[in-house]
Amino acid sequence: MKIVSIISVFLLSFEYGFASDDDYFIEELYMNPMPNGFVHSHFQFSIFSNSNLFRSSGQHYDLFPKAVGQIIESHDVKELHLSLTQGLWRHDKWGYPVRSSPPGAELWAWFNETPARSIDESWANLVNSLSGLFCASLNFIDATNTVVPNLSFRPSGVVRGGECPDQDSVRYASLPKENVCTENLTPWQKLLPCNSKAGLSTLLNAIRLYNAHYHTLTVDVQPVCQSYPACTSTVLRLTQSISVVFRPTLNAGHQQWSLQSLFDRPLKGSCPLAVKSYIHVDISNESISLDYTLNPPPSKVTSDDHGKVASYDVAEMTQGRSSLNIKFKWTSKVIYGKANPPTLHAHRFIAGYGQENGGITCMIYNNDISNAVDVVYMETLPWYVRLYLHTMKIKTENGTDVKPDMLRFVPGRDRGRPYLLELMFTLPPASVITFSIQFDRAFLKWTEYPPDANIGFYLGSAVISANLPSSANFTTARQLQDASLPSSSSSSPGSEQFIRIYTEPLLLQLPLPDFSMPYNVICLVCTVFAIAFGSIHNLTTRRLDYEKKKETIWMKVKRRIPFLGKKEKKDSKESKEEKKEDGRARDASSTNEDATGDAGRTKEDVAKGTKVD
Amino acid sequence: MAAPIILTTVLGTLARIIILGSRYTQTLADRIELSTPVTSWKLMTEGVFLLDHGISPYEGDNFHQPPLLLYLFFVIHKTAPSLIPLVFLFLDLTTAFLLYLLNPFSILTCAAQSTSIINNLMIASTFLLTLKGQRISATLTLALASYQSLYPVMLIVPSAMHLAFLKMQERKETISYSSRTAVSAILFTVGSFLIWYFILLGVSYTMLESWDFVRSTYGFTLSVTDLKPNLGLFWYYFMEMFEHFRIFFLWVFQVHAFIYTLPLAIVLWKCPSFVFFCQLILMAVFKSYPSLGDTTVYFALLPVWSHAFHYLRNGLVISVMIVISVVLAPVLWHLWIYAGSANANFLFAFTLIYSTAQIFLVTDLIFAFLRRSFSLQHGMKALKPDGTEKLVKLQ
Repeated sequence: MKIVSIISVFLLSFEYGFASDDDYFIEELYMNPMPNGFVHSHFQFSIFSNSNLFRSSGQHYDLFPKAVGQIIESHDVKELHLSLTQGLWRHDKWGYPVRSSPPGAELWAWFNETPARSIDESWANLVNSLSGLFCASLNFIDATNTVVPNLSFRPSGVVRGGECPDQDSVRYASLPKENVCTENLTPWQKLLPCNSKAGLSTLLNAIRLYNAHYHTLTVDVQPVCQSYPACTSTVLRLTQSISVVFRPTLNAGHQQWSLQSLFDRPLKGSCPLAVKSYIHVDISNESISLDYTLNPPPSKVTSDDHGKVASYDVAEMTQGRSSLNIKFKWTSKVIYGKANPPTLHAHRFIAGYGQENGGITCMIYNNDISNAVDVVYMETLPWYVRLYLHTMKIKTENGTDVKPDMLRFVPGRDRGRPYLLELMFTLPPASVITFSIQFDRAFLKWTEYPPDANIGFYLGSAVISANLPSSANFTTARQLQDASLPSSSSSSPGSEQFIRIYTEPLLLQLPLPDFSMPYNVICLVCTVFAIAFGSIHNLTTRRLDYEKKKETIWMKVKRRIPFLGKKEKKDSKESKEEKKEDGRARDASSTNEDATGDAGRTKEDVAKGTKVD
Repeated sequence: MAAPIILTTVLGTLARIIILGSRYTQTLADRIELSTPVTSWKLMTEGVFLLDHGISPYEGDNFHQPPLLLYLFFVIHKTAPSLIPLVFLFLDLTTAFLLYLLNPFSILTCAAQSTSIINNLMIASTFLLTLKGQRISATLTLALASYQSLYPVMLIVPSAMHLAFLKMQERKETISYSSRTAVSAILFTVGSFLIWYFILLGVSYTMLESWDFVRSTYGFTLSVTDLKPNLGLFWYYFMEMFEHFRIFFLWVFQVHAFIYTLPLAIVLWKCPSFVFFCQLILMAVFKSYPSLGDTTVYFALLPVWSHAFHYLRNGLVISVMIVISVVLAPVLWHLWIYAGSANANFLFAFTLIYSTAQIFLVTDLIFAFLRRSFSLQHGMKALKPDGTEKLVKLQ
């Protein structure tokens, strides 16, 4: 895929300065029709607000949403990044997204240190506030799935005074099983200045969005410089974005799409509160530039080293008309070709068989023929996946070992902390590196399994972060993300571009106990204990002795009732005589040794039911 | 005279060498009957590797061996990693010199490189040294054994009793455990055991400069956090236990492991070595992570009390139960975990049968012992006036 960068387009947007006290709002839509038939639409809504306003008395909120502002304030958050995603971004087919996010929910944040609260407390409070704000089950994030990454997640906003932030003040967690639906879209839209009533956010039709191949809802809050290059003051930037990948159907062999066909409604106008409202269509693809039609014609077309973009100024285009419906049509018949994979992509899967142990293998591809790439690989696994670090192997295709430049391993604690593995190693040009590690599956208590235990447990995506040289072959409109930063890619060709790739999440089966058995198990095990205890108790508290004559109940009664006294005396006399005889017989037989009676005695004992067992 | 010993030594060593050198060591090392989270070789390798990379193995929740053992294997790994099977062979041969060699359980345990070998060595040495009357070394080996796994602590009672008994014999006094010599001997024994034990704990502290290992070793053995199946009674019980009662039953089970010490010592006070032996069996059944390696020591010692076999009543039942459970348990493990066709209940049933067999063994042996001492006092057979035999029962 060709190199595209739209940074120049967005730099133009910021050439004029703004009054430093006002909030300003920019909305953009970036559309990329790919030659393999997918259409990637990325909505980005950015609100810039002077963060000093929050700290002054009065806390006046203008365009910046109060809900987000209060959360940032009360939990001492420096930077916040939340994403809710359904579907997997296929790097090898679609290139790089504007804002990468893993399947499920992902949240990471940098905190300011305060003496009042510990970072863990702030994190727990933040998680619960966001869970309430976005109606997502983010409250499942707790100590068992939170990690403190050192290498992979650096601050993406401005860092004051160039000081290195304390490594302990970042937290990262991901919930791979989390679903996204309209329930999350609605509160998200409410944070926008124009809500869903005007501007680009009117295109967000939930029915169409949630039928797409991939869709993600993100919220990023970070401090950015207000003016460049002299960064004298910072503003707080809230970026809300929705990324959708559609695959429009063919119409008589031709693929075409329009805003109406994708989102089921045309664009009526721009948001009056927006300073800039733009739609960019990426037409840098070679096959497109030959054979497409774009209706209505764009306001301007920018092309540079990285690609070609057709831009529409929505406010301008909707002035005279009732609505703006951008139609894109391939004039020739569609031939779906094999997509060229980008520079860096990865594939992760579970190895092994059986439910006792297994392995995780990740294959990372470097398709750049001239440059080696340094990557940071981060893996977070729950505590019940017991990793063995000594089984870790990093190998190239021909079997040579790759030694990691840096290794950080935080072992997990049972029911306390997940496993964190961060590695930094170099990928040689045009190579495939295979990373593999083995683990044992733990056995959980029966209450710790989810209701549908046979599905298994979800393991979150691994994160691969890399700085790609900008001459490397990568498509992106991802500079949209850093539109306010003076990305150096427009100035010097040799600089680097930071990307983050998320691998597939994994599904792991753990061995299951029988859930219907608690009472039975308790009874059986306690029976075994009782056998031991009862037998030994008998053996230790009773003495072995000759069998005494058993007194029947009738005899007991006779003994107690006085008028039967005569018979009693007779009985007692007789028993005394018997005892004397017994004594003599005992003495006489003490010298006898007879082994043959043993079997008979044993059988009799068993027959009479001795009290031993 | 020496020929049988040499023959068994050679055969036993050969069997161990063959299996240790073959490719089955890895499979055996993973078997749940032979290695538990407390004794597993894979976990020991992981601990040594983490230590090598400057990460404390006690930080995570995987490693449950005490620091001295960790350093022993760390040093061996650093100097000559290929010698590790030889280390196990040597340790086992030393135990064998005291005890056993051809027991298949012990051959497999040695080949699985389970660290219960070291525990067995210590327990066997304690037994030998106690019988020989060497107080200092007996308490040292006992301290080492209980330093590694917690349960051999209960062997201090029969050990102290036997050492006191030897002391009283030496001084030609009448045997009474309340006499001055007895009490002082017992106190000395317990004191030297405690001194050795604290020395070991202190040395462990200085190795990694933290008390983390206490939580990982003794804390783990007592709180049973890892529910990996083994041949014991704890795993499935705590897997299926209601959360509300978990701590209560944990206390009950752990206390239960220790409560037989005093009653047996009181009843069998004339023969402390027999109390030692019964404790070994009870330990093998009721400890939180038992394995086949725990049974090897007492199986080897069983013939010592062959004179009591005359009065054993359940011999056939016990041997059949043990054979069946040890043969079928691996099959059902495979069916549950790998084939996915059976259930945890099947393996659990055979675990129960294995434990019950051992319980029958110990109770039967105690009964046989008591019955024999009754016969020694009152004669083998007594007749009632009508000529039938009198029965001897517990009353």
